[in-house]
Amino acid sequence: MKLHGPLDPDDARKAAGPVLDLPGADDVEVVVAGSNTGLTRYANSEIIQNTLRNEVRVYVRVTTDKRVATSTTNQLDADHVRKAAETALLAARASRPDDEFPGVADPKEVGKPKPVYRWDEATANSGPDKRAEAVRTILGATKGCSAAGVYETSAHSFSVVNSRGVDCHDAYTRCVTTCLADSGDGTGWGESSSHAAAQVDPESIARTAQTKATAPHATGDVEPGSYQVVLEPAAMAMLVDFLSYMGFGAKSMIEGESFLSSKLDQAVAASMVTISDDVRNPLSVGLGFDLEGVPKQKVDVIESGIAKRPVTDLKTAAKLKTKSTGHASGSSEFGPYASNVVLAPGESSTEELIAGIESGFLVTRFHYVNVLDRPATLLTGMTRDGTFAVRNGELAGAVHNFRFAQSVLDCLAAIEAIGSEPRAFAPDYGSFGSTVAPAVRVSAFNFASTTSH
Amino acid sequence: MNELLADALDVATSSGASYADVRAVETQSEALSVRGPQVEALDTSDSLGFGVRVLVDGAWGFAASARLDAEEAQRVAREAVAIAKASATAISKPIELVPEPVHVDEWHSPMAKDPFAVSLEDKIALFAGATEQMERVEGVRIGRGTLDLLRQKIHFVSSEGSKITQTILQTGAGIEAMAVSDDEVQIRSYPGSFRGHFASAGWELVEEMDLGANAQRVAEEAVALLSAPECPSTETTLVLDGHQVMLQVHESVGHPTELDRVLGMEAAFAGTSFVGIPDLGKLQYGSEIVNITSDGTISGGLGSFAYDDEGVEAQRVDLIRDGILVGMQSSRETAAAMGADRSNGTMRAEGWENFPLIRMANVSLLPGEGSLEDLLADVDDGIFMSTNKSWSIDDKRKNFQFGCEIAWEIKNGKLGRMLKDPRYTGITPVFWNSCDAIAGPEEWLVRGTPNCGKGQPGQTMRVGHGTSPARFRNVQTGTAQ
Repeated sequence: MKLHGPLDPDDARKAAGPVLDLPGADDVEVVVAGSNTGLTRYANSEIIQNTLRNEVRVYVRVTTDKRVATSTTNQLDADHVRKAAETALLAARASRPDDEFPGVADPKEVGKPKPVYRWDEATANSGPDKRAEAVRTILGATKGCSAAGVYETSAHSFSVVNSRGVDCHDAYTRCVTTCLADSGDGTGWGESSSHAAAQVDPESIARTAQTKATAPHATGDVEPGSYQVVLEPAAMAMLVDFLSYMGFGAKSMIEGESFLSSKLDQAVAASMVTISDDVRNPLSVGLGFDLEGVPKQKVDVIESGIAKRPVTDLKTAAKLKTKSTGHASGSSEFGPYASNVVLAPGESSTEELIAGIESGFLVTRFHYVNVLDRPATLLTGMTRDGTFAVRNGELAGAVHNFRFAQSVLDCLAAIEAIGSEPRAFAPDYGSFGSTVAPAVRVSAFNFASTTSH
Repeated sequence: MNELLADALDVATSSGASYADVRAVETQSEALSVRGPQVEALDTSDSLGFGVRVLVDGAWGFAASARLDAEEAQRVAREAVAIAKASATAISKPIELVPEPVHVDEWHSPMAKDPFAVSLEDKIALFAGATEQMERVEGVRIGRGTLDLLRQKIHFVSSEGSKITQTILQTGAGIEAMAVSDDEVQIRSYPGSFRGHFASAGWELVEEMDLGANAQRVAEEAVALLSAPECPSTETTLVLDGHQVMLQVHESVGHPTELDRVLGMEAAFAGTSFVGIPDLGKLQYGSEIVNITSDGTISGGLGSFAYDDEGVEAQRVDLIRDGILVGMQSSRETAAAMGADRSNGTMRAEGWENFPLIRMANVSLLPGEGSLEDLLADVDDGIFMSTNKSWSIDDKRKNFQFGCEIAWEIKNGKLGRMLKDPRYTGITPVFWNSCDAIAGPEEWLVRGTPNCGKGQPGQTMRVGHGTSPARFRNVQTGTAQ
């Protein structure tokens, strides 16, 4: 298959090839990343920022006598790449030997990755006029509200080549659109993300946002406490994302910070819960290999409620006496990372999830979530843009936002039902990876306080 | 470089831009992480590119590229104009910029010793001395030291005639000890959490930290936290150290007084603000001793510069004076909305590839008087918290919960038992109005936050905060669960 992208494989080979036999280095690994990102931002129902950026990064990792260092440049020409390689070699020589360094990937041992190539030509070629048209559609669908959000199209390519013969390439596109509608009396949210712009419907997300923003308010006061809740896909995706960040990587498990450090092979969630890292899920957007050039495996980190195993890179896999699952993040400080997390769907419709609540709430999404206790997977954050009372199985009006303080594992253990319609989400920062999650119903979710809006 | 920037500017204006600026940024960075005796990560990086920002038909367009040649400069300028024309199809009224004098200048941030010139061997040895010492303390799983160096040369030209070159050098360093028991992790750090203390300074900053002399204490405190009692949930008098006051100022004063947030421009992502323009001169934001400034002219802060990224001269302005909200951080696009005829110079972008946004420069709580001991002496029963660990605040910057690494009881004016997992919650104006003491200039330090996120695409900015310890009455501590 001929792969295209902001940089094609030959561009990457041409940049990396000359430094793979760097004199004095035992091994050289080069990652070449290219991206073109167009993002149109609107607020107060008008376009406020509109940007296009063309970027390249070349990461050169050099090893000598088990000493390792990395140097990065954003220039693709031979002089800059060679200078980066030489800088990395000098730094490696100044460093100390790392007896746990297993070496760079050897294709004879790790195998040849297959690209995922979630690529859509129309998305890659989308320009400012298409983006402005999408925004105008959103503004048309949110008349009467003040609307804010983004419409973004991007194209990305990644290549990894090394002195042992690794030579792999992949590319993907992505379209993301979001809409916050503010009626003056309430706010609502809609968002959609896919590798193909044709699968993203700006009008639909705008109508969702407006419907939520203009919903009537619930009667009576709401008090903090533990409640039965429906977490819509955006809210659930954020919790799953944080769980991955806090504990799916083998380095955090080995160092004792992850819940996996003490709970491997134990029940940590309801038996209906399976959470995997799975770049080949049809909704995922990502690469078929990691930044060491190792094929990315599907890893069930939590399978049918049982904590099974972390994701690994070459170094942590060697330490655990296993094989790398292909999740090197490119940061030796952070270690391996699960960047394509998927919460497996269940069988319930959204209406069925809501119908199972006698007295509780529906949460559209969370805001400013942060970690309070990593091993305990305890998070805090706020609800926003659509928190609704649910009474006797029906939506009963919008309520003010809550602050929550909740262990993600306790939340997973309290899941009563999982929605049948998973949704894909792009990361807030950077362009790497995706999260796929459906809505869930949880028997007990802890709201610690309320706010005045 | 100058020719290339001028070329892009010419093409932008001849293609229809009523205003254009071009910013090229050369960045050099070095990041070192040492764990015990080992080098965990050693990364160097360079980056070079330029961005063209244009106003066409009253709407913004921006395009950026890492390829620096004349052909690409012209293509990017034309692309920026085309983007602006697309933007103009969905605006309610044309953008107008408040005036700014033309500046032709060159500026360097102060530095005594170039940190890039210090040998890697010496750097590794310095940190390993501290990290190995921490890992020798029983109960410590990981002793880690980090060093972050950044040098940026920013070239700015505008169609109004400004030509500015600034070179900014920043250094950050710190150590942390992680102690682990069966199901618990505790971390202590010095001089601050999340990679230490940052400033616009050279290697002298690292030397002044004396990391080795603090390693043993930091490690022992991390271990002691494992067996310390939990910080209670109670309403009490709270004394915060300067590091946590930095975070408190950042989240509950810095962000809510960014004028783009106030005007709703950040609504969908980072949120808006609980304050509005009608609150200026009226809102009792804090008690009468609370005075907070936005000041890019302070020497040594992460938000110290001579000109912002739209060529506006750095300024010192009051945000809160004697407890009253009197100012907001602005840009040339937004300043007129609060009746100002000049931006107060807070537009900054991460690198060459991003559109500038209103970002904090150095937002500082001005010092009061006395020492930390003086603040504690007037507390019969309270809690002293040190070193930020977690933060969360709502989308209007009102309801917050912040956590620290460590706390101690205060009994009869003296520190008592150590407490673990300290957290406190509050409502922004209620909290600042409960402030009844701020320590004096001898405790005041400009600290740095190197990881402030905002905007779409997400940008990470380095911002500064001058703070000293402060005391707050009737604060809710603990986490309701």
